[in-house]
Amino acid sequence: MKTMHASIHQIAVAGMAVFLSAASVQAEAQTQPFRCPRTGGDLIFALESKVPGLDQHTSNAGATRNVALNVYESLVTRDESMNPMLELAESMVLSPDGKTYTFKLRQGIQFHNGKTMTSADVMASFERYKRVGVDRSILDPVDKWSAPDANTFVIALKEARPLFIEALSSFTVPIVIIPAENAQAPAQQLPVVGTGPFRLEEFRADSFVKLRRFDGYKPDPRYTQVVGYGGNKRACVDTVTFRMMTEAAARTAALEVGEIHAVEDVPAASQKRLAENKAIKLARMETFWMNVAYPNFSAPPTDNIKVRQAMLAAMDFDEIMEAAHEGQYKLNPGFQFPGQQYFTDSGKELLNQKNRAKARQLLQEGGYKGEKIELLTNRDFPTMYNTALVMAEQLKAAGMNAELVVLDWPAALQRSQKDTAGWNVFFTGWITVIAVGGPQTLRQMAEPNPVYRPKDNKVDPAFMAAFNEVNSAPTLPARQAAFARAQRIALEQVMAIPFGVAPKTQAVRTNVEGYKPYYTPRLSNVWMTN
Amino acid sequence: MAKRLVQSIPLLLLVSLLSFCLIKLVPGDPAVVMGGSNATAAEIEAIRKNLGLDKPFLEQILNFYRNLAHGDLGRSLLLGQPVKDAIIERLPATLSVALYSMVLTLAVGLAAGVIAALRHNTWIDQSVMVVALLGVSLPNFWLGLVLILLFSVQLGWFPTGGYVEPAVNFFGWLRAATLPAVSLALLQIGLLARITRSAMLEVLRQDYIRTARAKGLTELAVIAKHAMANVRIPVITVVGLIFSVLLSGSIVIETVFSVPGMGALLGNAILRRDYPMIQGGLLFVATALMLLNILTDVAYAWCDPRVRIGGGAQ
Repeated sequence: MKTMHASIHQIAVAGMAVFLSAASVQAEAQTQPFRCPRTGGDLIFALESKVPGLDQHTSNAGATRNVALNVYESLVTRDESMNPMLELAESMVLSPDGKTYTFKLRQGIQFHNGKTMTSADVMASFERYKRVGVDRSILDPVDKWSAPDANTFVIALKEARPLFIEALSSFTVPIVIIPAENAQAPAQQLPVVGTGPFRLEEFRADSFVKLRRFDGYKPDPRYTQVVGYGGNKRACVDTVTFRMMTEAAARTAALEVGEIHAVEDVPAASQKRLAENKAIKLARMETFWMNVAYPNFSAPPTDNIKVRQAMLAAMDFDEIMEAAHEGQYKLNPGFQFPGQQYFTDSGKELLNQKNRAKARQLLQEGGYKGEKIELLTNRDFPTMYNTALVMAEQLKAAGMNAELVVLDWPAALQRSQKDTAGWNVFFTGWITVIAVGGPQTLRQMAEPNPVYRPKDNKVDPAFMAAFNEVNSAPTLPARQAAFARAQRIALEQVMAIPFGVAPKTQAVRTNVEGYKPYYTPRLSNVWMTN
Repeated sequence: MAKRLVQSIPLLLLVSLLSFCLIKLVPGDPAVVMGGSNATAAEIEAIRKNLGLDKPFLEQILNFYRNLAHGDLGRSLLLGQPVKDAIIERLPATLSVALYSMVLTLAVGLAAGVIAALRHNTWIDQSVMVVALLGVSLPNFWLGLVLILLFSVQLGWFPTGGYVEPAVNFFGWLRAATLPAVSLALLQIGLLARITRSAMLEVLRQDYIRTARAKGLTELAVIAKHAMANVRIPVITVVGLIFSVLLSGSIVIETVFSVPGMGALLGNAILRRDYPMIQGGLLFVATALMLLNILTDVAYAWCDPRVRIGGGAQ
């Protein structure tokens, strides 16, 4: 028990240690904190999706994060390598029993309304998140929280959870800190007041969001640069205008003529043309979107493991990814990307088998009689539609009676979540699910809500044992080994099919400096030269 | 007219009831959209509760009508603002682009139709009709993108998209609204030109036209004064139809040109299952179309004394 406590502390500190080593490398290259080489200007950034709102507690839309993560901040967030790091917390101490986290807050942090942040605001933010936050299950392990003084926030867990800080620092739907007076706001009606380097100036729904530099912002002096979602952030431009331009060709044209300075996504068809344009720089994040499908364990014939294994055996992932991502992809041997803490290629021989003979053999063993296999997809996301289309042809070629069921995204999503009939395979994409780390990824396949809908939501005991070990083992190597076991079981049982990974290509005008693509646009420490 | 207005109220209530019921029947709801594919069933249920979607259907519909009686269309679930405000915010963009487009449609469509009729069965007639057919047939998203590539990227005459309020900067509005207005107009010009041509051809064969020519009137006077008077009725019908299309907003054109108008608002509301927004938006569009129909009838009466005498438009 004592070892476990120590390890929990080590885990909590480990993330910081990783970051601090990165910071010291930076410090060697640049001992001075970042200073804007130039200030001023209105940076116009084109988004590919409409921003549905800026209540970061109640929306997990990427378009919300794109804007909101420049406005709000959290106690803890993720660094460049997706390890937990402190943001509004000055320090974090874990009690010897591993159950109590004591956060000291950074001093002199102001909200955009001019009020100084205290632990009462932090507590109110957590309370609102617990009430309306989308990922409120993050807080399930919490017994209580308190604010013993204006500068201290304490979270007491019901039992020790080594990965609590990893979950708390997730940026999927982060627990951003808001003023206590706004904490009673109903879902989607939160006044947009945070502590970030930009404050909201105007939000014209379906059109644009304009942010303005927050002059009261206090950069984090512990760092010299932006690191992940934290670090030393400074707003160099006066304003940022996020323009919602959902039509890709129009977005690209606007960049070419200089009406906008940056775009969130450049379609593959336009990349060659933009690369030849001397006024534009392409910026690519190599591992961004994992193309995923999952079978329905409750509906015949995919309730039959042999049929699921036959599907997996029959598929050629290259053909699927080529069609889905216009040739821009990499195959990936599992549910984490190389370089991530939990990356493993355990079970990789089960992926991309291209073995129709084996598929036919498995179908025979499973007693498959030509029952319909319904591939539930949508046209809102062409990637998902094309994946399903090619997969259907490959299954047919291996003797399976595959058929597409095409609905719009909300309808398809709801059917996959609510119904156990009417679909056999559902297509989606995982971005944050992968980015936030192995344990969070496995959560998709574990009790109580596995995406592949097994009967009574009961998951294979061996998988659950591995999953629980990932969440509770005292050392990282032990957790990594458990993750490898869980991944192998997931692939053997075909709980989810990771087809491969696609990059995210963004572009900026050459007069925009300092921009680095990330999961969402980070517009601190970005400046314009003219 | 007052009678027509009163008569339209039950129809509007029926529209609102149908839209309420139909949208609830469509699978997928805003909680699913907000939660995304990675949300658990419990999280989706919690969002549903936050949004009040867990209440019984009857309670929801009664609330809707109770609020409607107070002139409240509800609050958009995803935009977080009152539906009425969202509509008022976007109406100027749709209305101004629609009016601009209507002016272009009338000017070009009427002229093309009249010229084609006057030069019946000549190369001019055939050319006008081919161009009109193309205008009707071309997909509008393609047309919009071609206009952007030509006039924005290549020539740099107009911005690629966006919207400027005319009250703030009239010339800015004119520049921003031209390509969307032209895109919309090109689709409607063909229709108007064809209707005008066929109506004009019929009128030109009438005895009173022959009489007008026989008594020595100039061709311009024959066309402008006598022929056009009888072409107006079918043209008004088509103009009413065209304007109703323009007013309800074009999702595609507004998306291509990033115009924050009614079409984009309703289209997004449907995609995100924003129930109050869909109901409020449809009710607004239905009301606008009904008013437009009444105005069209009034225009008939103004143009044609026979309609006035027959009491066609009261």
